[in-house]
Amino acid sequence: MNLREWSLVFFTILGQMSVGSFLVLGVAHFFASRKKGVEAADRLSDLALLAIGPVLILGLVASIFHLGNPTNAYRAVANFGQSWLSREILFGVIFAAVGGLYAIMQWRKLGSTAIRVVIGWIAAIVGIALVYSMSKIYMLETQPVWNTLMTPVSFFTTTLLLGGLAVGAAFVANYAYVQRKDPGCADAQCELMRDSIRWIAIGSIVLLGIELLTLPIYLGYLAADGGVGAASIGLMIGKFSWVFIFRLILAFIGAGVFGLFLYQTALSPGREKVMGNLTYAAFVFVLIAEIMGRYLFYATHMQITI
Amino acid sequence: MSDKNYLTEALNETVVSRRSFLKWSAVVGGTASLAGGLHLGLEAVEAAAEAQEDPGKWIMAACWHNCGGRCPNIALVKDGVVVRQKTDDMHPDSPDYPQQRGCARGRSQRQQVFGADRIKYPMKRKNWAPGGGQKELRGKDEWVRITWDEALDIVASELIRIRDTYGQASILTPRFESRLLNAWGGSMSSWGVSSEGAFPLPNALMAGYGNAPNDRMTYRKSRLVVLWGSNPSVSSAGNPAYNYRQAKLAGAKFIFVDPYQNQSSQALADEWIPVRPGTDTALLLGMAYHMITNDLQDQDFLDKYTVGFDRNHMPEGADPKENFKDYVLGTYDGEPKTPEWASKICGTDPMTIRHFAQEVATVKPMVWSSSWAPARTFRGAQYCQAFYTVGWMTGNVGIDGGSVGPSAHSGASYGGSSLIRAGSGGLPGVANPLAGGVSLGYGFSAPENTEFNGMAYEEMWDAVLNGEYHATVRGVIPCNIQMIYVIRGGTGSNSLNQVGGINKGIDAFRKVEFVCTNDIVLSTVSKYADVVLPAQTPWEDPYGGFLGLNVEGLLYYSQITEPLFEAKSEEWMEMELAKRLGLDPNELYPVSEAQVVFNQLAGATVAKMDGSSMEPLVTITAEDIAAFGGDVVGEPQTGRISYQEFKERGLYTVPRAPGDAFEFIANKAFRDDPEANPVRTASGKFEIHCQALADKTNAYGFIELPPVAKYVPPAEGVEETYVDFEGGEKGEYPLQLYTIHYHRRSHSVFNNILQLREAFPQEMLMNPIDAEPRNIKHGDTVLITSRHGKVLRKVSVNPLIVPGVVTLGEGAWVERDDETGIDHAGATNSLNGTQLTGQGEEPWNTCVVQVEKWDGEPVLDDARWPQRIPIKEA
Amino acid sequence: MAKQLAFYFDSTACTDCKACVIACKDRSSLPVGVNWRRVYQYVGGSWMPSQYESRTMVPINVFSYSLSIACMHCEKPLCAEICPAKAITKDEQGIVAIDTSKCIGCRYCEWACPYDAPQFHEELGVMTKCDFCKDLLAQGGNPACVDACVMRCLHYGELEELRAKYGSNVEIAPLPRADITLPAFVLTPHKSAQATGEGTGWLDNLPEEL
Repeated sequence: MNLREWSLVFFTILGQMSVGSFLVLGVAHFFASRKKGVEAADRLSDLALLAIGPVLILGLVASIFHLGNPTNAYRAVANFGQSWLSREILFGVIFAAVGGLYAIMQWRKLGSTAIRVVIGWIAAIVGIALVYSMSKIYMLETQPVWNTLMTPVSFFTTTLLLGGLAVGAAFVANYAYVQRKDPGCADAQCELMRDSIRWIAIGSIVLLGIELLTLPIYLGYLAADGGVGAASIGLMIGKFSWVFIFRLILAFIGAGVFGLFLYQTALSPGREKVMGNLTYAAFVFVLIAEIMGRYLFYATHMQITI
Repeated sequence: MSDKNYLTEALNETVVSRRSFLKWSAVVGGTASLAGGLHLGLEAVEAAAEAQEDPGKWIMAACWHNCGGRCPNIALVKDGVVVRQKTDDMHPDSPDYPQQRGCARGRSQRQQVFGADRIKYPMKRKNWAPGGGQKELRGKDEWVRITWDEALDIVASELIRIRDTYGQASILTPRFESRLLNAWGGSMSSWGVSSEGAFPLPNALMAGYGNAPNDRMTYRKSRLVVLWGSNPSVSSAGNPAYNYRQAKLAGAKFIFVDPYQNQSSQALADEWIPVRPGTDTALLLGMAYHMITNDLQDQDFLDKYTVGFDRNHMPEGADPKENFKDYVLGTYDGEPKTPEWASKICGTDPMTIRHFAQEVATVKPMVWSSSWAPARTFRGAQYCQAFYTVGWMTGNVGIDGGSVGPSAHSGASYGGSSLIRAGSGGLPGVANPLAGGVSLGYGFSAPENTEFNGMAYEEMWDAVLNGEYHATVRGVIPCNIQMIYVIRGGTGSNSLNQVGGINKGIDAFRKVEFVCTNDIVLSTVSKYADVVLPAQTPWEDPYGGFLGLNVEGLLYYSQITEPLFEAKSEEWMEMELAKRLGLDPNELYPVSEAQVVFNQLAGATVAKMDGSSMEPLVTITAEDIAAFGGDVVGEPQTGRISYQEFKERGLYTVPRAPGDAFEFIANKAFRDDPEANPVRTASGKFEIHCQALADKTNAYGFIELPPVAKYVPPAEGVEETYVDFEGGEKGEYPLQLYTIHYHRRSHSVFNNILQLREAFPQEMLMNPIDAEPRNIKHGDTVLITSRHGKVLRKVSVNPLIVPGVVTLGEGAWVERDDETGIDHAGATNSLNGTQLTGQGEEPWNTCVVQVEKWDGEPVLDDARWPQRIPIKEA
Repeated sequence: MAKQLAFYFDSTACTDCKACVIACKDRSSLPVGVNWRRVYQYVGGSWMPSQYESRTMVPINVFSYSLSIACMHCEKPLCAEICPAKAITKDEQGIVAIDTSKCIGCRYCEWACPYDAPQFHEELGVMTKCDFCKDLLAQGGNPACVDACVMRCLHYGELEELRAKYGSNVEIAPLPRADITLPAFVLTPHKSAQATGEGTGWLDNLPEEL
């Protein structure tokens, strides 16, 4: 693994996390406004929304490092008609632009709510298209280890898992801010935060379940493939065995164990401090696990070649 | 310019002017890039744009190496820099009249000539002083640039001082002789055989020089071709493998006998007979047993054309019991040389031996051919004796499609005398006054002489270290070598690297008072020197020169570039030294460089198409002579092609067609009428029993050779991989090592070329059966240990090599870590010791080793090693 | 039907000498690490003790053969399809070439090609590969590798003509399946040749050679 492949790890992780956060925020905001009104919902999610931008930009910058000739980078969208890589770049740029526009409009309360909602939807759809394009890039016939359903499944799982926990962490941080800035709203915000985190915890456990269930099916498929597939497994349980094992342990602890406790602590008020720490811990564990998982994705791929 | 873009241009046609090449290469120093190569940035791009105007000129360049080939390499020169090369494309290619296509090595020459690692200036070791200074730093000292005057003064003064203090014979010229020193009183010389192994004396005394192969066209009439120990794709690069292929396509069956199913066999072999190195003699005896007990030998041929096969056909005065047949049958020693007996030694299955013998005896006409490799073994003469004997038993001599004898190097598949050759340069030789009046050196064959000063190649380092050497009939005599002088022509003669016992050699280099060399790059012998003089390559020869290809071609190469940096010719160096030694340089070189080349040109001859005689090749007019330069003198003459045409093309190859006058068949006259046309042996016949060979060989004092082929276990042969050969318990060195020619190099030349290091990684070959118990996997780094040294290499684990045998390419430049004693480059002579055998041939192919997995840092890819750039300044 | 240039390789005559590799590197001044043409040596077989002599081993189907491969100039070039910068195009002669002035160096084509044809050039930061020496062809010459081959086993011509003459099966180990990109390549297999996917041998090359 070298600079080039690390840059792809961070680009895809940060990019997917950005899309996931945007989607989760959209859902959280929708239900929060139903419960406590738009203003409370905005107070819950606006700052978190703004935080997505820099993360996405960081991811895009990381991706430049995998280019051998970055001065030509603007050409990357030229083959939109045929290449999923061109499409990914284009969707990425559009998502950043539209999502950024939405974030600014939300922050500054520009335009009517209706218009902002439409723009938000557009950004969300483009974001989904972005993650979809990312997964399609790897679905090449010469990459049997990547050319399976597992790729889009794991990309979207990562998107929602990281997106959810990132939003949870952002809400916790936001609550601390609100407590200082606007103590009067604290209780309402606390309730919204706990509601959100409760659902995020449920979601994390479910998504962890998906990850753990699809993994043996995927490994079985690779083993049956013989040749390149079996060689890839050889790497996973051989040279990279510790990465493989730790990635699962961290994910299990972060999304599973912490997720469960998170659900518990989010059920009733009074345990916000513990809940907050658990949220941060879960996010960090799962982020590291996902980075390790993505590292494995690149490190153990084996190509059909001579 | 259409769909080309500027970067593609830069990739293909980058040109740097000579001025900027010199400036740039000095600055960039450490990279491999070179003029005409790839650069970053706009400079290259602009240069490329300019260069579009100059289409460049294709000029025939020299490929001057001892590779078994020598081929046309033509350089495209733009603005004084070579941007790329091509090979022969001067006439349409066909099997009958093929283009002479060059190999990967010659095609990399522009990197050799223009590489960033060229030695640019005379230089001396920082910690050198008269007498040696810190001699222990030879090989790892810093280099300091000095002027030519200073360098020449040092060399001359050390020559004088050492000669005056220790005598003329204290100056060793290893593996060559120096014209200058010969004129100045001589030098301690050296002798023996390298390439041909033990073959020279058997060729002369057993076969009477009737050992040449037939012309390549006749191979197409063979039904069977046996190639023993041969890998022509590597060792006879150029057309031999392609010529053999024509025989195959015409229906000949090919059998390869080798410890390794080599690359040439991919394209040629129908069958591979595996055999352990150094045991070919046993295999041959087992075959002979099968032939004799089934009465398959060509008895008529043996009776009429040979002596010594059986007790009824012995030469005059020979003991009738000493006949070959009775030895094979075990009549007197009680040990019949059955295929089972042979198999235990040679590792070839007994049934395979029987089938092989059956085929060889019964399929006619057959080419029975060997390289010299099986004779580069301890007691290698026994192989030659057995090889000739079994070949003659089949009677395939002097017939169309049949021949018996070694066929290697540039002679592989090319029998007959040269159809084209350059004239004599006219420069008289200068004999070495210390040579005792005989031809000392390669192939020295006068062991009876009692005056010569010189030791076997394999004894040079011992002689330096121990102060004595074996002088054939005189026994051991003393010597006191205090200088090693390697100012020689060409880039070869890398003796410290190419003679067995490198570790001893390094000690020897560090013992003497002075070591000087000339070189184009810092090869081994220069790395361990005190003073190194920058040498020209033939690409810089001002008047060009001549190189023979195979028998069918003559190459007239031209100057490609002015001498680079401060490089000079050997002639210039010797003339300058001559002045300082009180000799007249014009007496030393009474014929100028230009005149020598002109003489070769004017005297060049080519066979008439009817094969009757040779005729002048070149038409030369008075204008041509005047325009030649160098004030040459000569007479106009008429020949086959004009001087202008020959100079432009740089190559003349004799057109061939099947049935032409050049289908030489070796020994045909002898076969047709042995009385009228005896071979040049004592008896006039092929000598299976050859007392002359035994006597001559024994006179060297190294081994006792019987007059017929017998198997005597060689030192460091398969027997020595066992503690107890009979019992079968393996010893400390359980594997046999033999050393192949390797395609990265021509011996040690080209070892520094990065793209060749990449294409040919200098890997050791090992069978999975030997790798598995050692937990060695393909691509691992392994430590190879012999009695004489240790080497680190990556290994290729593959089934193509006989179990129990490993091989490594000879010629890598030793890169020894003095602390651990381990050579990281894999120089095979770090593993080969110094052994005295036969007529002084070097027995590289008998060596025993152990191989272990290396747990330390893996060896870095050879192509990624830093280049040896001794002085990094402009 | 449009013309499609193709290499023809006679694997029965190749001795792994790599003159083709070096001729190509020299022609385009390629550095270490960039090999537009590569020679792959495929080996296999095993050894068993002799029935007659216990210390003697007998080779069982020990074989080797070499394949010289550059770019297949595929009929369905996946590299051209997926290149985001549209830097790879197929011309009217069927030659697939990289326009290095457009390349962004993302190396996606390297992932797409089953033949290892696109080679990353570290100094320039772009992908490069065999372009059939199209500028030499335009001058009436031949690709450098073809003129270099010492055993005369590397040739080129029009794909369908070559197929008619030599056959169209190129699924020979160690080459991959042909249906991924439809290589424009014709091959005469070695007598020991094994089929793609059914090979019992392995590549003998050390990684740094390729």
